[in-house]
Amino acid sequence: MQAQMPRIVEDQERGSFLVPRKAFTSREVFEREYAAIFDSCWLYLGHASELAEPGAFLTRTVARRPILFTRNRDGEYHALLNACPHRGALVCRERHGKSPAFMCMYHGWTFGSDGHLMSLPGSSGYPDGFKTDPQKQMVHVPRLERFGDFFFVNFSRQGEDLATYLAGAGDMLKLVSEHSASGMQIVGGTQEYSMRGNWKLLSENSYDGYHAACNHSTYLDYLKNTNDALGGTPLEGVMLDLGNGHAAVEYTAPWGRPIANWVPLWGEEGKAEIAGVYAELQQRLGPDRADRIAHKNRNMVIFPNLVINDIMAVTVRTFFPTAPDYMEINAWALAPREESEWRRKYRLYNFTEFLGPGGFATPDDVEAIEKCQQGYAVGGEALYNDISKGMHRAEGPAFDDEAQMRAFWREWDRRVAAHSELAEA
Amino acid sequence: MDENILLRLRVEDLLYLEADLLDRWQLDAWLALYTGDAHYFVPPSDVDGDTASPETSLFYIIDDRVRMEQRVIRLGKVGAHSEHPRSKVRHLVSNVRVSRDGTIIRARSSFAVWRSKDITSDVFIGHYLHEIVERDGGLMIAKKTCVLDMEALRPHARISIIL
Repeated sequence: MQAQMPRIVEDQERGSFLVPRKAFTSREVFEREYAAIFDSCWLYLGHASELAEPGAFLTRTVARRPILFTRNRDGEYHALLNACPHRGALVCRERHGKSPAFMCMYHGWTFGSDGHLMSLPGSSGYPDGFKTDPQKQMVHVPRLERFGDFFFVNFSRQGEDLATYLAGAGDMLKLVSEHSASGMQIVGGTQEYSMRGNWKLLSENSYDGYHAACNHSTYLDYLKNTNDALGGTPLEGVMLDLGNGHAAVEYTAPWGRPIANWVPLWGEEGKAEIAGVYAELQQRLGPDRADRIAHKNRNMVIFPNLVINDIMAVTVRTFFPTAPDYMEINAWALAPREESEWRRKYRLYNFTEFLGPGGFATPDDVEAIEKCQQGYAVGGEALYNDISKGMHRAEGPAFDDEAQMRAFWREWDRRVAAHSELAEA
Repeated sequence: MDENILLRLRVEDLLYLEADLLDRWQLDAWLALYTGDAHYFVPPSDVDGDTASPETSLFYIIDDRVRMEQRVIRLGKVGAHSEHPRSKVRHLVSNVRVSRDGTIIRARSSFAVWRSKDITSDVFIGHYLHEIVERDGGLMIAKKTCVLDMEALRPHARISIIL
C-alpha cells in the first residue's frame, strides 16, 4: 500500500494556492522526492573553472552520492561515482587537487581520470581479461552535460537533454556569463553550512521578494547607515516564469553591484572603476543588455535546488536534504575572471555583507526557515501554507509576489504525483 | 619574570576580557577593545585559514571597522531575528602563545565557543590569530582572524554571534 502523497490545492478563480505542510515533514515525501525529483532532474555538479587545468579533480556529494569530478590530460570532463568496484570504498578522499590517477587505499586498485582500472596489485590472482571487465571499472554518472561552463548530472538515463530541461533558465545562465568578456570563475573558498529545515523552504526563500522588508530590516538599515540615504533606487520589479519549474525575480535594489552599480561606501576610486566596467558592458553588449546586467538584480531557482542569485555579488548555491528537517548547503562566489584586484576585493566584501552564515541577512533567513520547520509541529487543523500572493494582480506578478514559488510547487507536485501513479500501477 | 611570559599574561588578560564581554553581550565595550582601523575575519573551512586573504577568497566574515560597528548596531536590534531573543554564548580561550613582530604582538590561541538557543546547542572549534598593538600603555586589538578547525559549518547554519 503506497502512502498517499500530499498535493497542492490550487483554485485560480478564488486566487487560492495551498501547499500541504506534510510536504515539509513527512519521511515518505522525503523518500519519494529522491525517487521522483533528485534521481531524475538535472542537478548542478560544478563549474568548469573549478577544474581549470587538465588533470584537476574535485569530490562533491550530489543527491547523497559521493561524486569524483575529473578532467583528464586531454581536457575531457568525467563524473564518476566515487566508490571502488572492488569493495566499495571511497576511491578519492581529497576535496580537490591534480592527479592523473586515483588509488583506492584499501587494496591499491588504481584508476585513471576516466575511471578505467589501470592496475591492481596481485593481478595473477585473477583470470585473463579481469582488468578490462566493464564491471571492474569505476562507474560513470549516467549523464553529464554542460551548459556554458555550468556542469550538471542526471542519475536517470531517461528524459530530456540539459538544454531542453533548462528552458528559459538557459538564457539566464547566459546573462550571468555575460558579466565577463573572458569568462566567469568560481572564486576560491566555499561556504559550507546547513539548516535544520526542509530543503524546499530554502528554494522558496532564495527568490522570496516579499520577506525582505520584514525579515531583513536590519540589512536595509545597514545600507542606509553606510551609504547615507537609500537614494532613488526602490525595491521593485517583476517575476519571470522560465518553464519546467524554473523561475526568477528581476528587480532594482538599493545595494551596490560590482557589475556595475556604485554606492558611496566604495569611495571615489570605486566610482571610476565601476564607470569603466559599465562602459565596457555597453560597448560589448549594447545599451539595453548592459543596463539590464548592471542595474537589475536577479534571484533564480533552477528546479529543484540550484540557486543563482545575481545581487550584491553573484552566488551559486545548491543544497540537498539528508532528512525531512535537515539540509546541507554549499555556496560559492562567481566572478569575472579578468576583474581588477580592487573589484574582486569589493565583490567579496559585498558578498559577505548580506550572504552566508556570517552575513547581515542570511542568519535571519536561517531563523525564518528553522522557525517554519518548528512551527509545523503544531499539526492539527493547520494543514497548509499560503502561497497565493499576487494571484489576482491584473498587471502580472511582481517581484514581491509568490508566482515564482507557485511555478516551483506546480513542478514539484507534477513530478511527485506522476511518480506516485507509476509506483501504484 | 621572563619578558615573554609577562607579555603573554597581559595578552591573556585581554583575550579573557574579550571573551567575557562577548559572553555577556557587552558589544559596545567589546568594540572598544579594537583599534580604529581594525578587522575581524572568519575564513571558510576549505582554504588555509592561517594564510588565506579575504581579497582573493570567499570568507564567512570580512569586517572592517565600519562593518564591525554596523554588526554591533544590528545585533542590538529586535530585527536581528537570529539573535532575538539572544542566544546563550560561552567562549573558552586557551593555549595562548605570543610573539613580537615589530610593533605588532601576534597571539595564537585555541577556542571553543558554544551558542545555545531553544532547541539547539552548537560548538565552534578553532584557533584565534590576534594582532595586538600597544596604545597609551595598554593593549588594543588591530585584527582578529577566527580559523575554524572544522570540516564545514554543520550543523551550525550561522555565525550570528561574534566568535
